[in-house]
Amino acid sequence: MAAELLMTPYAMDRFMGRLIAEGPVMGPRDRRVQPGFVKFEWLSSADELVLEYTTTTIPPKKAFFPPRQPLFEFELSEPPTITAVQEATPFTLVGVHPCDLAGLSMLDDAYAREPAEACWPAARARARVIGVDCLPDEYCFCFAMNTCNSREGADLFLTPIARGYLVEVLTEAGEEMLRLSDVEDAEDEDRSQAQAFRRDKGNRLSASIDASPEEFAEILETQELGELWREIAGRCYSCGSCNTTCPTCFCFDINDEFDLGLTGGQRVRTWDSCQLQEFALVAGGHNFRRIRWQRVRHRWHRKFLYLYRTFGRPYCTGCGRCSRACTADINIVDVSNEVIARARGRV
Amino acid sequence: MPQEAPIPRFGHKPQVAFFDFACCEGCQLSVLQLEEKLLEILGHVDVVTWREAMTETSSEYDIAFCEGSITTEEDIERIRAIRKQAEVLVTLGSCASGGCHNELKNQWSMDEVLGVVYGDDAGGISTIPSRPISAVVDVDYQTFGCPVSLPEFVTVVSCMLTGQHYEPPNQPVCVECKLNDYVCVYEKGEVCLGPVTRCGCNAICTSFGHACQGCRGLMDSANLPAMLKALTREEAHSIMRMVVERHSLTEDEIAAKLRIYNNWPELRMEEAQPDDD
Amino acid sequence: MREADSVDVTEDITRFYQPELARVIAKQRLSEMMVMLRLQRASGEMLEHQPGQFLQISLPGYGEAPISFCSSPTRTESFELCVAAVGNLSEAMHELRPGDFVGIRGPYGKGFPLEDLRGRDVLCIAGGIGLAPLRSLINYVADRRAEFGRMILVYGARKPSERLFKDDLANWDAREDFETLYTVDEADEGWTGRTGVATVPLRDEVEIDPTRTTASVVGPPVMYRYVAAELLAKGMAEDDILFSLERRFKCGMGKCGHCQLNDLYVCQDGPVFRYTQLIGRSEAIEVWAPEDERQ
Repeated sequence: MAAELLMTPYAMDRFMGRLIAEGPVMGPRDRRVQPGFVKFEWLSSADELVLEYTTTTIPPKKAFFPPRQPLFEFELSEPPTITAVQEATPFTLVGVHPCDLAGLSMLDDAYAREPAEACWPAARARARVIGVDCLPDEYCFCFAMNTCNSREGADLFLTPIARGYLVEVLTEAGEEMLRLSDVEDAEDEDRSQAQAFRRDKGNRLSASIDASPEEFAEILETQELGELWREIAGRCYSCGSCNTTCPTCFCFDINDEFDLGLTGGQRVRTWDSCQLQEFALVAGGHNFRRIRWQRVRHRWHRKFLYLYRTFGRPYCTGCGRCSRACTADINIVDVSNEVIARARGRV
Repeated sequence: MPQEAPIPRFGHKPQVAFFDFACCEGCQLSVLQLEEKLLEILGHVDVVTWREAMTETSSEYDIAFCEGSITTEEDIERIRAIRKQAEVLVTLGSCASGGCHNELKNQWSMDEVLGVVYGDDAGGISTIPSRPISAVVDVDYQTFGCPVSLPEFVTVVSCMLTGQHYEPPNQPVCVECKLNDYVCVYEKGEVCLGPVTRCGCNAICTSFGHACQGCRGLMDSANLPAMLKALTREEAHSIMRMVVERHSLTEDEIAAKLRIYNNWPELRMEEAQPDDD
Repeated sequence: MREADSVDVTEDITRFYQPELARVIAKQRLSEMMVMLRLQRASGEMLEHQPGQFLQISLPGYGEAPISFCSSPTRTESFELCVAAVGNLSEAMHELRPGDFVGIRGPYGKGFPLEDLRGRDVLCIAGGIGLAPLRSLINYVADRRAEFGRMILVYGARKPSERLFKDDLANWDAREDFETLYTVDEADEGWTGRTGVATVPLRDEVEIDPTRTTASVVGPPVMYRYVAAELLAKGMAEDDILFSLERRFKCGMGKCGHCQLNDLYVCQDGPVFRYTQLIGRSEAIEVWAPEDERQ
């Protein structure tokens, strides 16, 4: 695989048009109510697609794990009936940045861990994924998290060049998709432009974490940093936006809702956040992470220690969404580096 | 599994009355805007008193929906009488359930307030510091919002009719805003009270790109000192730097923004972190 | 549009979340707050569980919650759950009648390690409704009595009226081969037994051979650290002390994140833990001495 082809802007437009005619396509699209801000959304025409964008508020995991997802419907008959809500239509997810490809792959691993979750892989199996390269802003640190050149799970990957896009064909499904396109053979100049794009991207990435993932995990594991966590918590709203915008967060809540007919309804799964005050509250009334700084610490420990140890890489893609979304300006890179600096300062 | 008559607690099709106290009556109007959903609800109950929707009235009812604040001694007597009659009392909107504009007057003495509003004609008019209905009588279900949040109203009705309690969510508006994939108002350089305000409105204001004004009141553990720090922080990164520089709010201005919907009990910026040690 | 071809969904993708039906075959009120439900799978098949494991039980429309088994797996025709009225779901479950249906998923989690307990002295310390999961273990021991050494139960309830399983308590008390120490925090007029918290009879009246005893502790969070201190004072090894921890399980399969305790998922790695597993884990806050709570 990994053949490299050229797709001109015109060919891209036609390709997207055909993909959309063939089945549902989700991709980055300008917001109708608030133009200038891009979100992942179902596309109704090729011209809606915005392939050059910095980031989105919530990551493309929503294509496979919707923020609010009915699991089944029930009717209170005798006995009650339970009917699974099960999507089966194949779709295409377009315009996924390398960091988000890595994020999807991390969720593949997280949900596949025994006992494996069932909804995520079923949704993944329905989708083809087309990635696209991007240029970072000040919040991005994908280089530090080793995701800036990820191609994980992508069937096709696009890099912007002068003549359009250099297309990397990564899977058979990707090759199959290209039957809908008018691709040409890429030339050396196209390839070197794509390399230059990646170099430029790397050069623009200034934010980084000052320790290796292993050293960072060891610091979190061994160092008592209560004072720092309290300082951060003093600024933290516990609003959960760092979680609800995170491409690697996968916690959820499950609740029932009656229809207004009051004889039936749905069991619904929604995204949840460990930063919210009641996340660790139990039926008896005890809250095992009642204090704000305990929740702040948990976020760093979960991403950079526990899941790092379980899956072999930190559960952070460097996308910067959490820092961008934090209206208390708690920046994940700054805090991580402060953790590292204080730990080293003690030695 | 409970599955017979949907409303066992009443033993019959319950009768519903709407009442208003000091308010704009916008909550009642909002409920009318439920349209199809309202028709579904009306399949389970009979409305016997509803000034904005019908001419008939009745003194017999099982469920009372009450909007508005308590601002006179007569209000206190009236709401106590309603409480006595109603098996279930539901407060409608922030005036009735939390704090709203009415409580702004509590910053001054009642004599001053009467003088400003009525001048020389204030004689014979009496008023008391404004308070929500929930501060005067026991309330079975509370709904918040200015006007009342319709998703919460529907949830409360469904809980009431299926014999369930309803706890207002103790999460900020940011949660619903993000789950709906709306653009954060701060990203556009505006100040939004979403991070400290109780959700349940499905982030209706930010869905239109407007900042949350905090109409549903503060959530239980709202970190107000954090808001002071965030909005005055000098070394902020680009998005928050834009917000801080554009507005350069003082602590008093931030408190004034919060007080609009949060003056019951009196707003205290420094006492709002109950989950911290 | 491409014709509505669909991905072959070979298995039910929501099996992870979707309950099967079980039928209530008996209901017994244990106290003002507690009822016990005896249930059978609608399929008629046996539900194999271990003492200490839990089940996700639900009523459509009212939600789903984790509840520990309180019956012994030696009694196979049905299983029992003890439900405290603390919210919408549990209050609705208190209204159930024989013949009604509930949804169940499970069993989940690691229960008491029966293989390791076999041949050893079994010391159970129960506080309040913590007796429910321990009843599963105690009746297992009762039914396989020859396989275990001494059976000692220390049970503390807040008030005599809140004591659970009064028939079982009397039966265990009457057995020659069981040692029972019951206490209540607040006595009433009819109460002639001990008063005070469970740690007092544990400290003053229980003599054990620490090398051949395994302690199983279930109670309110505030109880654990004091019981731990008493057991260590008796010379017990940390590895021989088992705690069953309560957390909020939403999925029961280590995904939803609600029950995470440092790097452990209580629903998968527990809910029954050895004390040794919890040492060094700062979020097992119920087992640490009061001065350590903020670590």
